[in-house]
Amino acid sequence: MSIPPGFRELTEASGFAAANGPWFEKIDGGRAIRGFLPGPQHANALGIVHGGMLAAFLDSAMGTAVFHTLNRRAVTLRLSLDYLGPGRLGDWLQAEGEVVGHDEHVAQVRGRLYGPRHEVLTGLGAFALLSRQRTVMPRG
Amino acid sequence: MQNAQLLDDRPPDGFLRIDFDRDRPETTFNSHIGTLYAKRGPKGTRDEFVLGFRVHQHMCNPAGGLHGGMMMTVADLVGTMGGGTLVGLRKFLPTVSMTFDFVAPAKVGDWVEGRAEVVRQTRSLLFTNIYLTVGEEKFLRASQIAKIPSGEGLAFGKAKLDRSAAGAPRQD
Repeated sequence: MSIPPGFRELTEASGFAAANGPWFEKIDGGRAIRGFLPGPQHANALGIVHGGMLAAFLDSAMGTAVFHTLNRRAVTLRLSLDYLGPGRLGDWLQAEGEVVGHDEHVAQVRGRLYGPRHEVLTGLGAFALLSRQRTVMPRG
Repeated sequence: MQNAQLLDDRPPDGFLRIDFDRDRPETTFNSHIGTLYAKRGPKGTRDEFVLGFRVHQHMCNPAGGLHGGMMMTVADLVGTMGGGTLVGLRKFLPTVSMTFDFVAPAKVGDWVEGRAEVVRQTRSLLFTNIYLTVGEEKFLRASQIAKIPSGEGLAFGKAKLDRSAAGAPRQD
């Protein structure tokens, strides 16, 4: 399985994101899509992708959506997730977020993570918008 | 290597390393993210099941705080493994739904503990609340719904507390 065209590796990742990557991103008409190729290091005891890894990845995609939509860095305040189906090792998994509303301080974001055949995880999150002067890097 | 890790992590008394990958050829996510420990306390107390780990750089975000993904992974595990232990289930409980509130950050060097509270158990579902703390301070609040599979299911990842480490007290 190779990386689909248009995706670039997030080589600036450090810490947790780097340790659990590589993660990829594609900007498509102002929309950010993230992808990764799960391997054995992402698996749980059942041999499917660990729910924590899926949560981390969707969270990063939703935070990125805030940045690309509002041009503001954001940190997660609250995230609500529903696990719809298994993420399989070797399947290219993609995640994206959509800002559904915001005020000066908080953005509401809907997110989805999906494989080639089915939806894997759906999420709704509240993200605190950092002031424009702050230069904190987003997750991942 | 395990002893070096133990020195590095300095787990408080009573915490034993969780061996998630016994007899498994490859390292899975629970081992890959870092060394996790567990402590078992008296039944019915808040310390009946405590998960713990030391925050290292590879668990952090670029800002130097504990990564939200790491918090969520550990909280998930506290709910399924810890919550399952509290109600006497020794099988793998797949997560159906989780909600997380990121109350505060945690930083490199912190010793993090996670505890679950069982809200309700039905025939097929387990509802839990989970807190992650550093000292007395809560930094993550989570609630979880996990599925209780019918039948035997898989014993929890065959995960075992590693009692072989030097000086580890016996606790059954």
